[in-house]
Amino acid sequence: MEQIVFGIGITALAGALATVAGSAEDTESNIGSQGDPNSQVQLAPQMGFVHRIFNKAVAGEPPAYGLWCALGAGLAWAFLAMQINAVLAIVLGSLLAVFVQGVYATTAYLGRTASLSKFGQPVYVDILKSMTTVAMAHAFVAIFCTVTICYLINVALGHPFPLPLLGFIWGITLGAAGSATGNPYYGKERQYQNQKFGAGVPISASGNIVRYAEAGERNSLDNGFFTSKFGGPASGLCFGLIVFLELWRTVVFDKLSPGWGAIIVGILIILIFTIVDRYIEVWARKNYGPYTAPVKEAAP
Amino acid sequence: MTAVAAKPAAGSAMNPTAMVIGVVMLIILLGIAYVVSPGLGLMALIGVVIGGVLIGFGVHFVPVGGAPAAMGQAPGIATGVAMLAAGAGLAGLFGGAWAADQGFVIAVITGGVGGGMMMAITCMMVNFVYVFGMGIPAASGKVAKDPITGDTQPEFKSQGTEGHGLPFVSFVGGVTGGILGGAGGTLIYLELLSLYQATLPTVLNASATQVLPIAVATAGIFAIGMFLVNAVLTAYNITGTIEGPHDPKFKRWPRAIVASAVASALCGLVAILIVTI
Amino acid sequence: MTVKVEVIEGGIPHTKIMIAGLICTIVCLYLSYLNVATGTEMFSFFGGLAVISALIWGSHTIKVLCSYGIGTGVPSAGMIAFGSGVIAMLLATKFGIAAPIVALVLAAIIGLVLGYLSNNVLNMKIPVMIQSLTELAVVGALTLMGFAVLMTGSFTFTGLTTGSVTLFGALSMPSYQLSFIGGGLTAVAFLLGAIAIQHPFNACLGPGWKQDRMLMLTAECGFLSMIVAAIMSFALISTGSAILSLLIALIGWVYTYCEYIKLSKRDAFAWLDAKPIPEVEGH
Repeated sequence: MEQIVFGIGITALAGALATVAGSAEDTESNIGSQGDPNSQVQLAPQMGFVHRIFNKAVAGEPPAYGLWCALGAGLAWAFLAMQINAVLAIVLGSLLAVFVQGVYATTAYLGRTASLSKFGQPVYVDILKSMTTVAMAHAFVAIFCTVTICYLINVALGHPFPLPLLGFIWGITLGAAGSATGNPYYGKERQYQNQKFGAGVPISASGNIVRYAEAGERNSLDNGFFTSKFGGPASGLCFGLIVFLELWRTVVFDKLSPGWGAIIVGILIILIFTIVDRYIEVWARKNYGPYTAPVKEAAP
Repeated sequence: MTAVAAKPAAGSAMNPTAMVIGVVMLIILLGIAYVVSPGLGLMALIGVVIGGVLIGFGVHFVPVGGAPAAMGQAPGIATGVAMLAAGAGLAGLFGGAWAADQGFVIAVITGGVGGGMMMAITCMMVNFVYVFGMGIPAASGKVAKDPITGDTQPEFKSQGTEGHGLPFVSFVGGVTGGILGGAGGTLIYLELLSLYQATLPTVLNASATQVLPIAVATAGIFAIGMFLVNAVLTAYNITGTIEGPHDPKFKRWPRAIVASAVASALCGLVAILIVTI
Repeated sequence: MTVKVEVIEGGIPHTKIMIAGLICTIVCLYLSYLNVATGTEMFSFFGGLAVISALIWGSHTIKVLCSYGIGTGVPSAGMIAFGSGVIAMLLATKFGIAAPIVALVLAAIIGLVLGYLSNNVLNMKIPVMIQSLTELAVVGALTLMGFAVLMTGSFTFTGLTTGSVTLFGALSMPSYQLSFIGGGLTAVAFLLGAIAIQHPFNACLGPGWKQDRMLMLTAECGFLSMIVAAIMSFALISTGSAILSLLIALIGWVYTYCEYIKLSKRDAFAWLDAKPIPEVEGH
């Protein structure tokens, strides 16, 4: 019984850390404009819309976060092997991983913007100086939380995988969850704020991103504050639920009914989420209504 | 993207000669495994091939919209297909590896359920963001009616777009893809783990408990490597984006089965040769 | 992605880079074998140099492959390179001193098969697909071998699977958990290489692509990876050798990073500090 209570405690802690990590990850990737929405930031100068957004083209979020978290976990593992205290090891590992992340961010911005010289997009050194450190700070939060989760899973819950491999796995999952949830919010809502609310962006508007903000010209810090209002917490919720439910069903139900207990609970969880998703979809169709009149079906 | 040289469109055509050559290669590789290590090695290789095919097939179900989806111009999840599938499969592998000592069948199903759960949560949150954060209902651009629920799609598609969000069939596709990917990855991992646990003590001249970390880590990295290879091959097959099982591109799956089988057989053979030569 | 990719003629031809990269990598890997000859771990840094030469070759291959519009993004090419490379590399380590050559041959075979599958079974029909995937698999295998040498001092299976743990500062016990493979450091090396190989082309993508800028960025990414790998090697090899690798990596990184900034300044339209968006006609 004690074992289960201890496990639940660790699971709760891991779930909370995962929520923070997911939120920080999405905020960081939107401050740097990483992943699929970045194609618009790249396209805008080619359509004549010069901007002051940070163009961080470092792969997509899953592989990038896979690297930062695996690196953080690997460095933490090395420090632990050198008999350094666990908390310090994780902090140092995350710090060095963030340094690598910052360097990659700067080289990506310089490279992409220099290659757009034909369209008159200048390199803004002040954007480089201000955005990079903010992005690094958010990344540190995300990486530190994820590496701590991996450490807890490995040491406290007894998972067979070594720490770097766990960092790899959870880093990629963090990136995938945060990217899936946060990208449309940043891409459609923020980048195309001038389009009508409640509809997708028409193809004709490609590249016409918002470049002038509430006060002055928009830069990526404005996008960071916007993300933390909805996209960030939603991503945090997504990754937090994934980590928490995955750990919870194993820790609690593996002891009660070996093997099959966790599987049945997992299937139940999938069904619950399917019902919730269907409810959301139907709610939207009923409340928002169609854009145009329904097409009359031809008589058979 | 303006490509450098004009290449004939990839298209959905199947190349029968190439498929036959692929099947022949598969048989040759299985034969080599039989010669080198009948019994343990051959069983492991067959398991790895099945796992690879599950991954390759499963990734076709995952709805990926790419860059247009990030602007609400296309339905699907706005991430790369290989990495989204990798995320789901690895989450499944995590759960499956944890249940490894509870028996083969339980571990593989646990892996599948883990992957499916990750995709279910992610797909639900995607729709959550679209509906409550952006005020956009889900609509598919490829079919007039959702095959599962019968909901009509065209009038819910905003003007100038190809659809947006995740219609129910895409959601189900995503969960199915997660289940198959997680199960496939766990299957590869378990096959290699049992092979290494049986053979590494003699190779390294140490006890079984001592070599367990090596067996686990090596099997783990092989599973991840093969997962990524299969996922990228599928990404090539669907040329980057797919709406889900209802998308016409889904009909290209036979090519991916052959490609995944041969690629997994080759990589699996190399993984087996580590302990048999 | 809706980005125009145009090829700029000129620069060093790809075959030259391929041959130079291949020879340099193999030579560096074998130079690290001096570790065994001299009984120290001082020459582990040659592994890092092998990584950098392989990455320079590999990033140019990615540039050649992705100029053809493969439909998926650039990062997947890096993933498939290292996915196939890690498998080849792990088997090759069982062949003792012949490991780099075996890795080369094995990875080439895997890459050829993958290229054939992609081009013919999956009907991608890209002229350079088979050659590029072969090259990428070889680059993946050799890069991972370089990382293994940098972190542990050897490229043999026994060297990568055994380490020793020191108890109470004096007693030293062999441990399988404290090794390159047992500790899971292969996963870290995998991603370090996979991101480093695709980043230079991905970051310099655009109509103003220049070969020297991209290759300088590759060297910078390589040295950066070498820095963190050298820090991780402190746990596995003697402190002196690790410090040597770290110093070489730091000096190399600072140099290439400054050069890269200079080249970006040369190529950029304008280098502004805290200036507004310039007024362009019509927008």
